[in-house]
Amino acid sequence: MSRRIAPYLLLAPGAIWLLLFFVVPLYYMGELSLNSGVFGAYEFSWNWSNYSDALSLYDSQFVRSFLYAGLATMFALLLAYPLAYTIAFKAGRWRNVLLFAVVAPFFTTYLIRTLAWETILSDQSPVVSVLDFLGLAPEGHVLATAGAVIAGLTYNFLPFMVLPIYASLERIDVRLIEAGKDLYASATQTFLRVTLPLSAPGVVAGTLLTFIPASGDYVNAQFLGSASNQMIGNVIQSLYLKQSDYPAAAALSFVLMALILVAVLIYIRFAGTEALMGEEAAG
Amino acid sequence: MTAEASTGSRAWQWLRDHAVSIVGVLVVLYMLIPIAVIFFFSFNDPAGRYNFTWVGFTLDHWTNAFGIPELNEALITSLKLAVLATVISTAVGTLMALALVRHEFFGRRATNFLIVIPMATPEVVMGAALLSFFLILGTFSLGFQTLLIAHVMFCISFVVVVVRSRLIGFDRNLEEAAKDLGASPFETFRLVTLPLIMPGIFGAAMLAFALSIDDFVISNFNSGTTVTFPLYIFGAAQRGIPVEVNVIAMILFFFTVAAMGFATWQQRRAEKMASVRPDQESTLAVPAGASAAT
Amino acid sequence: MSSEKEQRRTGIVAVVIAVLALALGLAACGGGSGINGGDTESEEVKLEGKPSGDVTISNWPLYIDKQTVPDFEKEAGVSVKYIEDVNANEEFFAKMQPLLKQGESGGRSLFVVTDWMVAKMKELGYLQKLDKSALPNVEKNLVSNLREPKYDPNREYSAPWQSGMTGIIVRKDLAPDVKSICDLFDPQYKGKVEMLNELRDTVPLVMKCLGIDPSEADEAEWLEAIDKIKGASESGQIRRFTGNDYGADLTSGNAVAVIGWSGDAVQLQADNPNIEWRMPTEGCILWSDNMVIPVGAPNPTAGEAFMNYVYDPKNQAQIEAYVNYVSPVENVKPILLEEEPEIAKNQLIFPSKSFTKNCTIQPSPSGEEEQNLNRAFNAVLNG
Repeated sequence: MSRRIAPYLLLAPGAIWLLLFFVVPLYYMGELSLNSGVFGAYEFSWNWSNYSDALSLYDSQFVRSFLYAGLATMFALLLAYPLAYTIAFKAGRWRNVLLFAVVAPFFTTYLIRTLAWETILSDQSPVVSVLDFLGLAPEGHVLATAGAVIAGLTYNFLPFMVLPIYASLERIDVRLIEAGKDLYASATQTFLRVTLPLSAPGVVAGTLLTFIPASGDYVNAQFLGSASNQMIGNVIQSLYLKQSDYPAAAALSFVLMALILVAVLIYIRFAGTEALMGEEAAG
Repeated sequence: MTAEASTGSRAWQWLRDHAVSIVGVLVVLYMLIPIAVIFFFSFNDPAGRYNFTWVGFTLDHWTNAFGIPELNEALITSLKLAVLATVISTAVGTLMALALVRHEFFGRRATNFLIVIPMATPEVVMGAALLSFFLILGTFSLGFQTLLIAHVMFCISFVVVVVRSRLIGFDRNLEEAAKDLGASPFETFRLVTLPLIMPGIFGAAMLAFALSIDDFVISNFNSGTTVTFPLYIFGAAQRGIPVEVNVIAMILFFFTVAAMGFATWQQRRAEKMASVRPDQESTLAVPAGASAAT
Repeated sequence: MSSEKEQRRTGIVAVVIAVLALALGLAACGGGSGINGGDTESEEVKLEGKPSGDVTISNWPLYIDKQTVPDFEKEAGVSVKYIEDVNANEEFFAKMQPLLKQGESGGRSLFVVTDWMVAKMKELGYLQKLDKSALPNVEKNLVSNLREPKYDPNREYSAPWQSGMTGIIVRKDLAPDVKSICDLFDPQYKGKVEMLNELRDTVPLVMKCLGIDPSEADEAEWLEAIDKIKGASESGQIRRFTGNDYGADLTSGNAVAVIGWSGDAVQLQADNPNIEWRMPTEGCILWSDNMVIPVGAPNPTAGEAFMNYVYDPKNQAQIEAYVNYVSPVENVKPILLEEEPEIAKNQLIFPSKSFTKNCTIQPSPSGEEEQNLNRAFNAVLNG
């Protein structure tokens, strides 16, 4: 059988599915975004004003979304790295147990985990009293503030940060680290100059896998935030599912994607692409 | 580095040495806090609709976990959906991964791109785009069909990435050896390749299953009037989540832990039986990102 | 290994095949009526003798007791699938709309939506005209003040399920002094107040606080009230805007005073006896949720049978005892006076005329005004 068509046959089902149900819908959404008119009578009219409206009406939500997502990503990185490091180098027999612990909460469903935080952070709970005592709750309550939303985002996307970093660390040849030590580098130096750079692909992947979905999230803001904490995802959801204003919603979605793409491209410029595209050679 | 003799600074030294591990364990505990809360409240006996404050201990909801018909229906719908989506996306995704890793062909770069983009798109955009598509097309009625389509779609990318990373670390020499011994390509695939990448495939399948069962955003947009487990919870959150939901969440959790434990145990056995040479270990051990599941 | 050129060719062939397949597939499938689509003329319910078979009913959560459906199934000889998936009018509409415009209802023969949504659906041709010959109980027992609503003057498309009042619900242990809508803006309750995300409940109430009569207000006055709400939200006075979920916050004490619905409060008292519905000094908003039969209903006969069934005062009393909203059926109070006097004497369930003297029927803007107000209000909800 020709080796030439083999890859195409293998690819076909998946590629067709993705083309049909991902690329094409995006095209349709694009078409929708250029519609105008009232509900029940939308018509295509190259209505670019949907885009300018999207940017001008919802600029504060955009800024907020990227701010929250950025902070959540940063916190996730700070929390995930030590954990990934522990699992990769210090866990020994407990390695798989810890990996379970990271992944298993996934199976209790996103919503329930977020709602559990509603209980934990409720005004009367001891957690909030402690935070208040420490001065970390300026408004007297934690729920319905930006803090709660960011905390929720950080928590929910933590596994996405831990796993890629762990994967990267796990691949590092331990002998390289030992070499560092042999050359009289201190533990910190070894970390900064050997381990950290070698784990960069994982950090990049984790950051992207966290930041991108977090920017578009709306569940955390809906349950844990107030009206002043709503993110762009909430607006899109409201426009689609509450107001039935499909053209505006479609335009907003594209703007969100475009902005994320820009942010990602800038980031990749900094960080390098190999990690992302899996450019490792075939076979 | 000489430590001073006093126990105080020895303790301090121990802390410093283990600082990273301590933080690591704390983070894991932090990740498990909500699970603990869910577990705790699954034994609650609330007076009214809301399960927020501890009232009293009861096993009633555990013994009667499947007592709410709508909840059960939603759960069954979710499970059916997840199983189908997993099977389809794993099969399709594995084929894609094989093509991408093993062959040079025109369009390889573009395909890579096509795989990565869905992972990089916020769920709200994907859900909304699919909804627009289904609305304009008018063919598929929103419901189980559209949910299945959507779930398979977002799972494929993850399956490909996981299986691909497993394939990359794969030692082709083993396949060469099989060919040298007279095996046909198909036999080689079936008897050598497939078993060795199976942990990766299994990991990808578990990931797909998790993503499907957990999915809320995309389902919310495309479910029409079908109710999945997360959608049921969303509705219930408005008026008070019944304790049975906590119970079922914990059942899912424990079941998964058991499944993963089983998978690891199987893998350990497989490794032992393969009596691997030390420098071969990397191809069989838990590889990059492929799986917390194996 | 094949040469570059050959590879290229194969690649192009493959892509072309894929695209052709897609195009063919879409063409075959297509012809969808799209978002605007279908011409749905108003249909009429065609009764088919005695009710039988299966029927699916969609309603709001916690809006029926546990016995009524089984009792109805026995009496009418039908099998009922009762789903509680109407959580909010707009959300339900957004979900159902793609189906309804194609003339389908997703299997439902009857669902329950609020007055203004009935008006909207009727205008879009999504409802069937009822055959009144199957609704003698409704004809006889519907309370007089609900017989001729503006949106359905002859009650040809709808029959009220329950009525209700939107007012304030407070934790009397934590906020005993909240008695009016204006009190909700009192800074001492900052961060502990919640309002409904429903335009037609929240804004008219705030208009009352501003001294505006909601039934006569013009767009500018609506916007004035929306502005006031916006200020309160931005300052943190209003903690959140909620749907049905204010109950959780009231129970846990996260909120001490909210805008909420009368029947809810009665039900919430089981969780916490400190929860109390209060008639605002400025008055409340009155509304009804109505049963309608959508186009494409698989079993409208059974649907109408259900409508008729619940308008029998005996059956309604059973529902009322659990639901605790305001019944649209006459002659229920005497039955409950004997069986459950507490409920019969509750002003929230059987309000006297003097109790509701300052209340206004829920106003509903339409057309361009509705669009503008929706946009303004949603801008506040979404920060």
